[in-house]
Amino acid sequence: MKKITRRAFLAGLAAVSAAGVLSACGGGSETASTAASAAGGAASAEGGHKLTAYAWDASFNIPALNAAAADYKANVDPDFELEVIEQSQSSDVENAITLAASAGDYSTLPDIVLFQDHYIQKYVTDYPDAFVPVEGADIDWSGISEEKLSYSVIDGTHYGVPVDNGTVIFAYRTDLLEQAGYTIDDMTGISWADFIKVGEDVFAATGKYLVSMDGDGNDLIYMMMQAEGQSQFKDGEPYITGNDTLRQICEVIVEMVQKNVCYLANDWSGYINQTILGDMVAGVMNGNWIIPTIRQVPENSGKWEITTLPTLAGGEGYASNGGSSLYITANCGNVDLAKAFLAYTFGGSTVTYDAALRDGGVITTVLACGESEVYNEGVEYFNNTPIYKQIVEMGGNVPVVEQSDYHYRARTYLAAGLINVINGANLDDELANAEQQIRFEMGL
Amino acid sequence: MKANHGTLLAKQRRAGWIYLMPGTLLITIMSFIPIINAVITSLKTGSSANMKWSEPITYNYTRMLQDQLFQRSMFNTFLYLIVEVPIMLVLAMLLAQLLNNHDLKFKGFFRTCVFLPCATSLVSYSLIFKSLFATEGLVNTILVNLGILETNYNFLGNSTSAKIIIIIALIWRWTGYNMVFFLAGLQNIDYSVYEAAKIDGASGWQTFWKITVPLLRPTIVMTAIMSINGTLQLFDESVNLTSGGPANSTITMSHYIYNNSFGQGVANFGYASALSFVIFVMVAVLSFINMKVGDKRD
Repeated sequence: MKKITRRAFLAGLAAVSAAGVLSACGGGSETASTAASAAGGAASAEGGHKLTAYAWDASFNIPALNAAAADYKANVDPDFELEVIEQSQSSDVENAITLAASAGDYSTLPDIVLFQDHYIQKYVTDYPDAFVPVEGADIDWSGISEEKLSYSVIDGTHYGVPVDNGTVIFAYRTDLLEQAGYTIDDMTGISWADFIKVGEDVFAATGKYLVSMDGDGNDLIYMMMQAEGQSQFKDGEPYITGNDTLRQICEVIVEMVQKNVCYLANDWSGYINQTILGDMVAGVMNGNWIIPTIRQVPENSGKWEITTLPTLAGGEGYASNGGSSLYITANCGNVDLAKAFLAYTFGGSTVTYDAALRDGGVITTVLACGESEVYNEGVEYFNNTPIYKQIVEMGGNVPVVEQSDYHYRARTYLAAGLINVINGANLDDELANAEQQIRFEMGL
Repeated sequence: MKANHGTLLAKQRRAGWIYLMPGTLLITIMSFIPIINAVITSLKTGSSANMKWSEPITYNYTRMLQDQLFQRSMFNTFLYLIVEVPIMLVLAMLLAQLLNNHDLKFKGFFRTCVFLPCATSLVSYSLIFKSLFATEGLVNTILVNLGILETNYNFLGNSTSAKIIIIIALIWRWTGYNMVFFLAGLQNIDYSVYEAAKIDGASGWQTFWKITVPLLRPTIVMTAIMSINGTLQLFDESVNLTSGGPANSTITMSHYIYNNSFGQGVANFGYASALSFVIFVMVAVLSFINMKVGDKRD
């Protein structure tokens, strides 16, 4: 009898701790839901003047939201109030939607959420009831960058109002280029093959890499592909094997890493802290939201300038990476107010966008707002060049490429494959493997 | 039933059930109902707001057989298990034996030192190991200054060294925890047994293998089961120390489950539940084997 009890106890112990796996998975959700409930049945009531919103970056998009709120209050509704509930990272917003939708209870959500462009299509497809379209809002859509809207328009319906501009910049340290005998003009419209030569010279002369990236979440492939006007997806399916451009781009990246032109950090914080803030690089290529990070090194003020991306055949390349837009949730009790607020401010108010640029470095995708005075000013950190004007102009040239719900999954598998190739694996095998994994996840 | 009514035995039984009620209720609500729900979820697919029965019903389970990433995560987890658990348990036993020595001074101090890693949270110790072994981290600086390494080595960027670091971290974190169980087990071994062995001329090594290990068997079985459980569910280290990288070469099964439920907008709770169940079965099977092997009384 005693033996059985002991066994039962041990087996029970094993079972209970195994069940702990599931609750371990719930760990993330618990924090997210506490955050949501701390915000307390967040949304507004009908007929009021108050809205709530989730956003995640206190030095970037939150100042932009506050700027919009101040604009609306001053010029439209003196009683208007926007409560911005700060999230620690963008995935908190995504998890809040996942949890609310899974539970079938949207009451934890705020009126408006800021949402990453690359994720929104999957979320609207997965949780169609979680968002309210902004159709009928008083916005001149034709005045907004087409590429930006290609994310938030889903099956022909407008779901979001753009906030920031994800146009990719290539920022170079002109002083380091000069030591290797080059100027920023040499880098404009350069081919990737020549870029590698310059990179080798720069590394030999200064010991700095010409570009860096997070090796785990490698955005280089996507950005370089878009600059060629290509996508990793075709007709809703992964387009990886048999995609000659993608293969060439992967070869370029591997060659860059092998020749000390590109440094792949282990993770995102390595990319930011080690390579950019740690002054390891002579160039940074990413969405322009990386600018506030570059500027965190005050002693390099005046040494940076920006230009367009290299391309495979030479010629200026344009791409966009990682912007976000505002979406109205199903929990919004005052949809008309939310629509009016978004339409008036982020739909095209120069006052909003000027303040957003000044306070947060947020660049507009509304073409008319990019012509305002503030955009023409030279920026001291970037050698007094009018970089914001440059970025808005570049943004107009970004080609629209096919987007996919599985964008980040494709990125992850391709990044893993690239690391394997750098460590000696065969590129074609790794590409085939990545394609197989993505198809598998997509259920194809 | 009626005949028994009012007898002392029946009263005692009723009291027993009443005492058991709160615990039973709690474990039913907190564990059993979620487990049953997880089984049901594991047979469904689709986004979490709109789940449908999968077609065929075992889709999530058959899918695993073709999922290379899951197989890699399983391989990694078992690698950690096979390498880490024996090293850790032997180390813990040796440390316990050393610290059980009656002649040792400052015993309390040493015991505290060995146990202290368990007081750190999993996330913070993972982050500390991450910064220790970073390319510009302390370990690299020391090794370069001592002339052992020429240039800084990217420990976490190489799949073999990243795995070794996870194992070192696990050993550091859990050895002291297991040592405490062995210490408690050693208290139950009468010191006179050791004295008798000494008089018979047994060396320290012989005493350890011939007396300590056999008499500690119940403790060894328990710590082994707990370690196997813990390692199969390894999560924090994989997420925080290496983020599963480089190229998913250090990802564990639980980390993969998390990625399937909350990572990168996937939210595939059906598949995640199915994966969790496979781990559950693995833990149950391994624990059963362990008990069979460890329990020699049959």
